[in-house]
Amino acid sequence: MKGQPPLSPRRGRILEGLLANMAVVTAAARVLGSSRGLGQDGLLLLRRLGVRGLAISHPQRQQQRFSSLDDKPQFPGASAEFIDKLEFIQPNVISGIPIYRVMDRQGQIINPSEDPNLPQEKVLKFYKSMTLLNTMDRILYESQRQGRISFYMTNYGEEGTHVGSAAALDNTDLVFGQYREAGVLMYRDYPLELFMAQCYGNVSDLGKGRQMPVHYGCKERHFVTISSPLATQIPQAVGAAYAAKRANANRVVICYFGEGAASEGDAHAGFNFAATLECPIIFFCRNNGYAISTPTSEQYRGDGIAARGPGYGIMSIRVDGNDVFAVYNATKEARRRAVAENQPFLIEAMTYRIGHHSTSDDSSAYRSVDEVNYWDKQDHPISRLRHYLQSRGWWDDEQEKDWRKQSRKKVMEAFEQAERKPKPNFSLLFSDVYQEMPAQLRKQQESLARHLQTYGEHYPLDHFEK
Amino acid sequence: MAVAAAIACRLLRLRAAGAGGHWRRLRGAGLPRGFLQPASAGEDAAQWRRVAHFTFQPDPEPLEYGQTQKMNLFQAVTSALDNSLAKDPTAVIFGEDVAFGGVFRCTVGLRDKYGKDRVFNTPLCEQGIVGFGIGIAVTGATAIAEIQFADYIFPAFDQIVNEAAKYRYRSGDLFNCGSLTIRAPWGCVGHGAVYHSQSPEAFFAHCPGIKVVVPRSPFQAKGLLLSCIEDKNPCIFFEPKILYRAAVEQVPVEPYNIPLSQAEVIQEGSDVTLVAWGTQVHVIREVASMAQEKLGVSCEVIDLRTIIPWDVDTVCKEECFLNLEAPISRVCGYDTPFPHVFEPFYIPDKWKCYDALRKMINY
Repeated sequence: MKGQPPLSPRRGRILEGLLANMAVVTAAARVLGSSRGLGQDGLLLLRRLGVRGLAISHPQRQQQRFSSLDDKPQFPGASAEFIDKLEFIQPNVISGIPIYRVMDRQGQIINPSEDPNLPQEKVLKFYKSMTLLNTMDRILYESQRQGRISFYMTNYGEEGTHVGSAAALDNTDLVFGQYREAGVLMYRDYPLELFMAQCYGNVSDLGKGRQMPVHYGCKERHFVTISSPLATQIPQAVGAAYAAKRANANRVVICYFGEGAASEGDAHAGFNFAATLECPIIFFCRNNGYAISTPTSEQYRGDGIAARGPGYGIMSIRVDGNDVFAVYNATKEARRRAVAENQPFLIEAMTYRIGHHSTSDDSSAYRSVDEVNYWDKQDHPISRLRHYLQSRGWWDDEQEKDWRKQSRKKVMEAFEQAERKPKPNFSLLFSDVYQEMPAQLRKQQESLARHLQTYGEHYPLDHFEK
Repeated sequence: MAVAAAIACRLLRLRAAGAGGHWRRLRGAGLPRGFLQPASAGEDAAQWRRVAHFTFQPDPEPLEYGQTQKMNLFQAVTSALDNSLAKDPTAVIFGEDVAFGGVFRCTVGLRDKYGKDRVFNTPLCEQGIVGFGIGIAVTGATAIAEIQFADYIFPAFDQIVNEAAKYRYRSGDLFNCGSLTIRAPWGCVGHGAVYHSQSPEAFFAHCPGIKVVVPRSPFQAKGLLLSCIEDKNPCIFFEPKILYRAAVEQVPVEPYNIPLSQAEVIQEGSDVTLVAWGTQVHVIREVASMAQEKLGVSCEVIDLRTIIPWDVDTVCKEECFLNLEAPISRVCGYDTPFPHVFEPFYIPDKWKCYDALRKMINY
């Protein structure tokens, strides 16, 4: 049934047992005469057959249902049996939820039946999206160090989570991100020019220069504009999924967040709402080991984020986030079922944040260079995919060299163009607060214009469009 | 259990009736004699808790919107919601306990009429309710979220201020949540105390990007709520709970709009301007009569209606600072949380407003 969770094996067994017992009682009643109930003899017979507690013991109580059901819990709040042994459930963090992967660290398929067998063109698009993102990250990070943009956040090490998941979605599926999902936009062919425009806040920025760098948004590509407060997007994504369900849109909503943001109240709110309101949403958690300087051991004490899903009644899985095929497979299946069954799915993609949190962070203050190098050299989504490509004969060192040169050139061109463009006219400071500009705000806008007429020399007007 | 419920219902009715002699009726209701001794000070001791600090003044029946019906404030809200769900197939109503009709009966009948996918309960989580509502609105559907009491809006403060209010601006108008309306019961009710009496509009009054609206009557409530729902910006609509049943007037059955960001001059005057919103409008109306009668002072009474963006032009001109003959006087509750038994002393009642006016005249 659509929207109904399948009967758990345990519940199914109980039901089976009940039905079997009922069948025996009915048969016994026929044998012994059903008009007055089974009486003591009937009871004994049934007990010998191993049917416990279902027999009607007194004729007067014939109207009552099977008496042992009286002893079953009736609480509306939980579907469970009684237990008479005092036992606390032990959280299992030593052997937590296993991590699904398709490729080993050398990019070799482990179980051929899990290989998605994607065509060469598609896998090459994966590779080029990840590497182009990586190249753009290096150049924009550097540009911040040189004072050309104010701020930047890199995606090093997490490219696989972005591209694998984005590739498994339809282009019209709505994306709510946190801030480290630029690869999703990259995969959806968001032009370099627009990435740069947002980072520079120049006239071409769709966001009109209002936010810090990396706060991308694109209506055309169904990527909701990023905001700085963490986890606020989670209940919003759930609402959007509910509306998509009502509209019979056959769309899924995907919501990205980090393992740190998952500690926020909004995350709890979002999970609970998605499950109770039966929303077609994929919760995608990038567990990259750190929330700025806070390691996961200080973020949570349970078995990560995947283990929380079942607590809400949400289908959950943990995957190797550095294995782009594993991410792809899990997201693909989650998408199919979320839309078909109108229920949420939780994917926890284990990965590692190779870069600093942002240009305002120096992570050598809280982790060793060796640790970072391990991930960079031994378990990187890009190199694993490259090994896969090479083993298929779809890529070689020559192409690698060419592509590096080409992608670097593309990025540099876009970068230089973006830098040359002016910022938007200062009047854009005032628009879009409301759909219509209120009278008071218009007065303020006019007041600034007058002010600049007298004091304009003290303002960077040359960098702004006239 | 049914018997106890019946007795409880009778008790509630008696309490609501507020008339004297209720002790006699209690005995008649089948409770044993002496179960409850009458209060030592007689009827007066219980009476003072039931007298409201204002008298609701209904406006004359509106003639320009077609057929009207006698409605109290919660019924006017239901009517507005009914109209909205009928007109707009994307509109949904959600929040705690809205499915059975709501703790203040504002959503009675709507789930049966429009279906459980359109009028539904959410888990008990205000930040979730507002965040969820924002998400619905981002897709373009109409979201009407209920917060059970304005006192509980604070968990949603981040979603309202940091997200809803800034959605359009920060995205360069690529995205917005304009089709979100948040409704919440608001203000003092006689016995609500710390957590069922708050008027938190001031916390939102300096948040560009949202609109905050407070109606004074059923007719105003329906028209303003419809405007909020249709407005292309996220709105918070605070409903004075003390007026839910106490305010009754003729309200048009069909939908109609009262414009936002427009104050209403209820009474013109020449000596003193009195500005208020919600329940307090009825207090200052009475103060205006008192001023006329006892002091011969002519008062202009203004209902602000929209708190942000507010109608500056109706209330004052920029130059008015030089034309004031006395400093502006603000009469409000004291700088304390809203108390329980001390409510009669706490609220800015007509005597305090009248006294402030008198001092102003004599400045």
